[in-house]
Amino acid sequence: MGVAAYIREFARFDWLKKFFTAKTAPLASPLHFHGFPELTSTECTNCLKCRMICPAPGAIEIVQRRDGKWEPQIVPGHCFRCGYCVEICPEEVLTSGDILVKRREQNLAFTHEFEVMVDTNFCMGCGNCCTACPVNREIDPGMGAGGTSTTDTVLMRIVGGRNTVQHNDLCKGCKVCEDTCPNGAMHVVRRVEAVQKEGC
Amino acid sequence: MTLLQRIKNAVRKRSIHICYVNTGSCNGCDIEILACLSPRYDIEQYGIYVHNNPREADVILITGAMSAQWIDKLPDLWDRVPGPKAAVTIGNCPISGCAFNRPGSLIDPPVSKYIPVAAAIPGCPPRPTEIISAILNVADTLFENYEIKSRGKKP
Repeated sequence: MGVAAYIREFARFDWLKKFFTAKTAPLASPLHFHGFPELTSTECTNCLKCRMICPAPGAIEIVQRRDGKWEPQIVPGHCFRCGYCVEICPEEVLTSGDILVKRREQNLAFTHEFEVMVDTNFCMGCGNCCTACPVNREIDPGMGAGGTSTTDTVLMRIVGGRNTVQHNDLCKGCKVCEDTCPNGAMHVVRRVEAVQKEGC
Repeated sequence: MTLLQRIKNAVRKRSIHICYVNTGSCNGCDIEILACLSPRYDIEQYGIYVHNNPREADVILITGAMSAQWIDKLPDLWDRVPGPKAAVTIGNCPISGCAFNRPGSLIDPPVSKYIPVAAAIPGCPPRPTEIISAILNVADTLFENYEIKSRGKKP
């Protein structure tokens, strides 16, 4: 290969154009990429499952519009784009990337349960969590200010100066107990499992 | 507008020097910035060059949720950047603190409390394409007519 071959190679118009002008990078996201969740046309039932499963603080708000319909709103500066809210929604209100397509194809579902954990080293038995808990309020509206209750069907109550969890399965994951605890003794743990349903 | 100003505008649009500052991030966003340098995205084709020196930079990219150690250092670093200058924050952390913004954590977001921020790119982490397109979008107007705009202001 002589010098002429080099000159012929570099004198091509395409090559010169690419050399002197900016090449376009792949500035489009691939289809499987989970962007910020977007609304579909289906109506939100305000079940708050998306809000309970969201791992990012303050990333999703369910607001009521002027016409009375509920709709989830994603806050971009807070959202991780993990797609949990899209996967958990039973009505398919939100969509992101190819999550919904995959879910329909493979018959996937999320099961989730919440476990209320009390750190007995920090719990001082003030009962703030028990009185704040919305599930407790529904079951036993007459709960005492100290969190004591006459019935053991509540989610948690103060027994012997300590908070004891009676029925873990009632927890809906609102984490009000975490927010109201003055000592940071309450923790609501979320266990999420992806399962494949039968009939796929 | 004088011819000199026009030349300055054209040159500043095509030659952006960047310094990135990690104010306590998890390195996820830093890796995405690193990916912008790779041949696939190649930010140097747009005239964006990385120097890790604030004195050479036009744009500083900020990642991280503003840890306590950076609270006095970031405004100091911002003063060292010669004008025209701009700050662009990358990721959720400089906006909201993201996953680290829990009770009892030692961070103090947002970054815009401490220095003026020209653009913020949300995402945890944002894709390299989002970073590049955000910087290219602000590049056209950011340093335009800098001398005219800054007339009478303290440098």
